[in-house]
Amino acid sequence: MLLSLNEDQTQILDFIDSLARPYAGVPMHDVSLALTSAELDAALVENGFLDVMAVEELGPVTAALVIEKLARLPFAIEAAASAMVRPLIDPELPRPLCLVEEGQTRKPLRFLKPGASVVMVGPSGVRSFTATAEMIGAAQEDTLYGYPVAFLTALPEAMTAHDAEPAEVLRAWRVAIAAEAAGLLGAALASTVIYVSERKQFGRPLATFQGMRHRLAEDQVMTNTAYWLALRAAGTGDAGDAALALLHAQDAAKRVCYDFHQFLGGMGITLEHPLHLWTYRLKLLSAELGGRGGQGLAAAEAIWG
Amino acid sequence: MDFEWTEEQDAFRTKIRGFLAANLPDDWEKFSEHGPASPALTAFAREFCVKLAEVGLLFPHWPKELGGEGLGPWEQQILSEEMWIAGEPRGGQYMNVNWIGPTLDKYGTEEQKARYLAPITEGKSLWCQGFSEPDAGSDLASLRTRAVLTDGNYVINGQKIWTSYAGLADTCFLLTRTSDDRKKGITILLVPMDTPGITVRQIPSLIGEGDIHEVFFDDVTVPEGARFGEEGQAWEIIAYSLRNERLGIPRFTLARAALDRAVAMLRDAGDFTREYVRIEAARCAALCEAAGTANYAVVQRRVDGLVIGAESSSARYATVMAERAVCEFVAEFLPEALAGASPYLKMHHQRGIVAGIAAGSAEIQLNIIASEVLELPREPR
Ligand SMILES: Cc1cc2nc3c(=O)[nH]c(=O)nc-3n(C[C@H](O)[C@H](O)[C@H](O)COP(=O)(O)OP(=O)(O)OC[C@H]3O[C@@H](n4cnc5c(N)ncnc54)[C@H](O)[C@@H]3O)c2cc1C
Repeated sequence: MLLSLNEDQTQILDFIDSLARPYAGVPMHDVSLALTSAELDAALVENGFLDVMAVEELGPVTAALVIEKLARLPFAIEAAASAMVRPLIDPELPRPLCLVEEGQTRKPLRFLKPGASVVMVGPSGVRSFTATAEMIGAAQEDTLYGYPVAFLTALPEAMTAHDAEPAEVLRAWRVAIAAEAAGLLGAALASTVIYVSERKQFGRPLATFQGMRHRLAEDQVMTNTAYWLALRAAGTGDAGDAALALLHAQDAAKRVCYDFHQFLGGMGITLEHPLHLWTYRLKLLSAELGGRGGQGLAAAEAIWG
Repeated sequence: MDFEWTEEQDAFRTKIRGFLAANLPDDWEKFSEHGPASPALTAFAREFCVKLAEVGLLFPHWPKELGGEGLGPWEQQILSEEMWIAGEPRGGQYMNVNWIGPTLDKYGTEEQKARYLAPITEGKSLWCQGFSEPDAGSDLASLRTRAVLTDGNYVINGQKIWTSYAGLADTCFLLTRTSDDRKKGITILLVPMDTPGITVRQIPSLIGEGDIHEVFFDDVTVPEGARFGEEGQAWEIIAYSLRNERLGIPRFTLARAALDRAVAMLRDAGDFTREYVRIEAARCAALCEAAGTANYAVVQRRVDGLVIGAESSSARYATVMAERAVCEFVAEFLPEALAGASPYLKMHHQRGIVAGIAAGSAEIQLNIIASEVLELPREPR
């Protein structure tokens, strides 16, 4: 057992911090709930941050750390699938990567746009295709999510079959989303803590009310353990660990999306406070792979058969 | 006890549904995605409410002396439910008939009644409620917007925030501070929104356009006759209006309608066979019905002429639980609905997420339940 970061990991995380510093602020946005940045995305690719998993001394735990770190930014970045799932399928697949469960193509796909690689996972195996404009439903500008999303309206006649185990891809998918959720949870918590420590009502900071302190403290426990479960699942590569990690993260997501918006009062529903940039991403992740029910069944199956 | 509606009540509901079917446009569901305070819905409501008035459905629960039909709280409840399920085509005018009109009648001067009641009953006026301030939300009694009486005029300076409808309202039901005595120093002024010195800024939000605003008052001058009630009487008046006249929006009915809609979509997609989805849906239904019973118990108290106290907080919190569950159910199992596949569910989500904040935070309701229902000893100060 060794639960501390090694030197490489510390360096990578520090490097991401300095590279992402210009993107840590929140630009004014009054229409769409999703913030994206092509330059940031390009910088991450150029510096190889999305390819750390294949580097022997780095591996999946480092990939999870990168995903978690990037999720904390106000900008939505397609990192989870690229950094953790793509290496299992084909490291050359063009980004962004959109993962979709076979039979669930009606779901909104994060980052879907012409040129994206859509990877379909299910009983028929692991297959992919490059999305074209004709296959994509008009961009949902008024979506309620903090990701750019779109719908698949058609599937191509042929897809590329990959020599990857669907179960193994599903496992990595769960870990990737769990790591992303962990970062979102952490950032949302930090942002809420600052607000309720400064905001005063009844002559005292809101954070002095015990009813709120206890809920926030529980949210911290959930957030912290979501982080550890995601890293552990990345490290062990075990299917049960992966399902538990995502189940726990989705449980936490559900709680905090409610709690944090309650604690911010009116401020939490404005686009002038950044909280929604994390919570409205968490909302979509809470639906991933069948939500808590889906993860619960997968976990039970993996653990007890 | 009888848990069924009477024949008359059923007929009343049918009448409202018939009216809605005949008077809402075909693209209404998509249209109602505009928030209740959006320019589009406000403009629509100005015509829709005139039509409601014509058939006696705008304020049927008002006493006959006021031009109403003299129907009771149950009918007011039925009316609110049907309107809210339909996406509230009355826009902000629901406030007029639920509490502004009745409060005007009870506390207003003859001049105020003459000026403001007719436009309400004609379905033509829009009010906004200027209570909350940047530093006075849950702690409303700490509000600071000043009104100083000089030479027969009140001069108002300060700022309100979160004010729904402010951008398009005709009149503001405004809480101001006229003395430093916390609750007893608050005075209501009825302020026309076109008075010079008022600036309104819309706040971009997660719940659609036009909903919440900042309102700035810069030497806004109104005659003394704009005062509503006596100086310092505001707290008593709003306690009357908010507790007795307004149980709150019947959100649990929309939550239930949204749940039914979500289940229908899941069924169509073949996903309603999953046991965990079914169990979660049932849990949501239980919370919606639980909220319904808690709300109806309060309506019964109104029917019986009893004072309404903390049970309205209990009903509101039950409603928040139902809204939360349904919002989460849709987000978890039907994410496409919130990305454009169902305008109705998106409309519900945007209205549902503020259930625990607008009109007083859920946590404040919990404090009231703890103190007044459970009579728990208070926290030391
Ligand atoms: C959609 C919408 C429409 C609105 N429309 C209007 C309107 O038309 N007119 C108007 O005047 N106002 C309006 N409001 C304002 C609303 O009444 C306030 O937002 C509400 O009273 C909470 O105040 P606040 O936002 O300042 O939150 P705060 O008072 O800062 O509270 C934030 C959170 O802190 C917690 N908290 C606060 N006090 C306590 C405590 N004692 N114990 C434990 N926890 C506590 C709660 O979780 C609370 O939600 C609207 C709000 C919304 C969201």
